Amino acid sequence: MYVIFYKTNNVFLAEEILNKNRITCEIVPTPVLDKAYCGVCLNISKADKSGIFNSLKNIEFKVVEE
Amino acid sequence: MPLIYFDNAATSRIKPEPVYTALNFYLREIGTSPGRGSYKLSVQASRMLYQSRKTVADFFGISDSSCVYFSKSSTESINLFFYGFLSEGDHVILSCYEHNAVLRPIHNLSVNRGIKYSVLKDEDLYSQDLSRLDKYISPNTKVVAITLASNLTGQLVYRKELGVYFKSKGISVFVDASQGAGKHLINMSKDSVDYLAFTGHKDLMGIPGSGGLCCLSELKVPPLIQGGTGVFGDLYMNPEVYPEAYEAGTLNMPAIWALKAGIGYIRENEEEIRAKEKQLTKLLVEGLTALPNTIVYNAAKPRVPTICFNVRRKKSNEVVQILDRNDICVRGGIHCAILAHQALNTVQSGAVRASLDYNNTPEEINKFLSCIKEIG
Repeated sequence: MYVIFYKTNNVFLAEEILNKNRITCEIVPTPVLDKAYCGVCLNISKADKSGIFNSLKNIEFKVVEE
Repeated sequence: MPLIYFDNAATSRIKPEPVYTALNFYLREIGTSPGRGSYKLSVQASRMLYQSRKTVADFFGISDSSCVYFSKSSTESINLFFYGFLSEGDHVILSCYEHNAVLRPIHNLSVNRGIKYSVLKDEDLYSQDLSRLDKYISPNTKVVAITLASNLTGQLVYRKELGVYFKSKGISVFVDASQGAGKHLINMSKDSVDYLAFTGHKDLMGIPGSGGLCCLSELKVPPLIQGGTGVFGDLYMNPEVYPEAYEAGTLNMPAIWALKAGIGYIRENEEEIRAKEKQLTKLLVEGLTALPNTIVYNAAKPRVPTICFNVRRKKSNEVVQILDRNDICVRGGIHCAILAHQALNTVQSGAVRASLDYNNTPEEINKFLSCIKEIG
């Protein structure tokens, strides 16, 4: 599952928050979508989906499940 | 005695060791650019950019690191701000101690875009009676620009009371912190500052090629330059995504990483740096004012470790040349501060500026004072 951001700054902010909350994430290239977002995003296990929404309340992002 | 460098207001010459280490590390071990790739090494560059933004944001007292917009210099950031923020019909107030980096964009906008501006006089700027500021304010006054410290005299110019007063009148507050940023004198959130420009290579102890604009909240104005931002590459213009929109082109990441190290050093050694500079400044100011052949400008004002003076019956360039022959580096002339020279009535003579930092020594100051004494 990909968590996609508009601002690159927020990718690293989110990484920091998720690491603190012990949610494993990896920074990977953003999958090609209908619209371009910033070049990198977070790859996260689907099992952590609810944890992401709780952790990243103040950040604008989009979830893409493949 | 080796070279004596008293031109730290232009560029701090001796950097803390962690700055050299950070620069070397970035160039040798990272060597890629942030936002320009999704492989591990580029991601690491982007992560380091994020960490640098956080350090700057924290240092200047803003909570959102995405409101730090990096550039190559404070001049570029000042231009970004005023060219984007001001529209035809707006009025600006600026202090009489603004550097040309602030004066010239505003003056250019007055010539080409119908902006009007007023210059705050020294006696009103420092008056405790803030109502004396009212005569500068118009219904269309949008922003006031007040430098943190004068690049000519070293005196502190911005104070919180001014910011609070102007903001109470609905006027945004812009501070040019090119001088004094590294003294950790300002917290934007607490000191009523909306926008702040900084440069890395002076008292923040970084290297030339890094600067930026800090905003209390996201600034949405037209960018100064268009180009590659690394995001939303499908658009024909810079996206309205910040900070990327203001940072088109490749950032000078080695300099930004070095700046982060400089700020880290300042924070770790703040008390020692402040105490040393206070001691040196006292020695310099007292020594210069005691000499019968000098005129020292605004010596009594609270200051950063910079002082401005003239030697009676000598032109400033002559004094600079004599000092240079004694291996002492100071700067003469107008110092890109024509408004300040007008305020001091030194446009014709120019002036000599000596600017210290914590790397200087009392022995250097004594040698400098001996040379000045001999000139007269």
